[in-house]
Amino acid sequence: MDFELRQQGRAATAYMSDLAVAAARLRGKVDAELAARGLGEATLADDLDERLRQVDTALRDSRTNRALAILGEWSGTSHGRIGQAAFDEIRPDIEPRLRELQSTGPCTLEVRLGERLPSYQTRCWIHRTTGGWDGHPYQGFVHGELIHREYVSRNYPGDIFAQRREVLGTLPRQDYRRILEFGTSSGHYTMQIQKVFPQAEIWGCDLSIRMLEQAQRVANENGWAWKLFQLAAEDTGFEAASFDLVTSYIVLHEIPAAITRAQMREAFRVLRPGGDMLFTDVTPYRALDKLAVRWAEYGAVHGGEPFWREAATLDLAQAAREAGFVNVRSEGFKGAKYPWVTYGHKPAVGQQEQRA
Amino acid sequence: MKLDFLDVTPNDTATRSDPVAQLALTLAKELWVLKDRQLVLEAVLTQQGIPVRELVDRWQPSAADRESIDAARKRFTAEIVAALEGPGDRR
Repeated sequence: MDFELRQQGRAATAYMSDLAVAAARLRGKVDAELAARGLGEATLADDLDERLRQVDTALRDSRTNRALAILGEWSGTSHGRIGQAAFDEIRPDIEPRLRELQSTGPCTLEVRLGERLPSYQTRCWIHRTTGGWDGHPYQGFVHGELIHREYVSRNYPGDIFAQRREVLGTLPRQDYRRILEFGTSSGHYTMQIQKVFPQAEIWGCDLSIRMLEQAQRVANENGWAWKLFQLAAEDTGFEAASFDLVTSYIVLHEIPAAITRAQMREAFRVLRPGGDMLFTDVTPYRALDKLAVRWAEYGAVHGGEPFWREAATLDLAQAAREAGFVNVRSEGFKGAKYPWVTYGHKPAVGQQEQRA
Repeated sequence: MKLDFLDVTPNDTATRSDPVAQLALTLAKELWVLKDRQLVLEAVLTQQGIPVRELVDRWQPSAADRESIDAARKRFTAEIVAALEGPGDRR
C-alpha cells in the first residue's frame, strides 16, 4: 500500500530505526564482556532464572549493557506512539483511501467477539505497542504498513516475507481447496498463502478488529475474496471437517501454551480427514545454547512478549499428537534454528480406522 | 509482563526504569526532527533560488541583533538554572 510520510513522521521514524540498529550492534560487545567475566556455556547456570540473575549481576557495571537497556526500553515503549503520530500527520490525505479499501471489494470481515476478548489478549500491550493492537483507529495500518516499512524492514533488511512463502512450499499438497489461517493480523502471511495457493478459498481469524481491517484493505486492494473473522482461533465455531489446511505464522509465542494446545485441537476438529496443519513460530529453548536462551528472555521482556517462555518450552510435537495429528514433525526450517515449523496430518478416514 | 523475570534482573530493571535516560532519548528525538526540518527547509529554499545555508553561515549580527540574541540566551539559561535550583515556591 503506497503512502508518503510527512517530514516529522519521516524524521522521527528514521531516528527510531537508526537507534535500534545501533543498539543491536551492542549485543556483540555484551557477549564479549560476559566472556571476559568467565560466563559461557560451561559456567552459565542450568536453571534459567538463576542464569538470568547470574548475567544481570555480572553486567551490573557494564556501560554497554546499560546503554543497550536504555535504548531498548525507549524503542519498546516509544515505537507505538511515534508510529501513531506519523500516521496522524498523513491521516487527512490517506483516510479516504483506507475507508474505500475497507468498504469496497470482495473481502468480508465478520466481527464476532467485539470487545469480549480473552484475558491473554488484554493483560498487556502486545509488543509494548501503545494502546495494544486495537489502540488506534488505524492501528492495523500503523503497525502492518507504517511501522513495518519504516522500522521493522530497516532492522531486518531483505525480503522478510520470502521465508513465509518457502515454509508453505514444504507442504505435501498443492490442491488445498479451503485454507484457514489462525492469527491473520494485518495479512502479511495471508498474502503469501494467497500467492502460494491462488486457487484456494482463504479464511482468516484474529482477535484484533483493527488488524483485521487492515488485512481486509490489503485483500480488497488486490481483489482477493478472503473471509475474515474476529474470533478466538481456539474456538472458531466453524463447521467440523470443513478445511483442508490450517496454518499460522509467528503467532504461538503471543498466546499461552494452554491456548496453543487448544488451537491444535481446534485445527484438528475443523480439518477434513486428510488435511494438514502447519504452525510456524520461534525457536524452542531446547534447540538453543544457554546464552541464546538468555538473549531470548531478554528480548521477550524488553519487547513485551509475556508468553514467550512458555511457548518456547512447550513440546509442540507432543501437543500436535495429543490433538490427534499423525506424521508430526517439529523442527527448524531447512536445518536452521529459525523459524521453527510444526506440521501434522489429520488421518484420512481409512487411516483413522487403521489407527483405531 | 513476566514480573518474575524482572524480579531476578534488578540491575536491568533499575536501568530501564530511569526516567531521565528515557526523557533524554525523547528530547533527542525531537531535536533530530527539528534538525531534519532545518535541513529540509534549507534544501527547499535553495531549490527556490535562496541559498539560505550559505547566507546563514556567513551572516554576522549587527550590534542590535547581537544584543537581542544575547538577551534571549540569558533568559534561556536562567530558566535552566531556575529549574535546577528547585521549585519556585521554595525560593
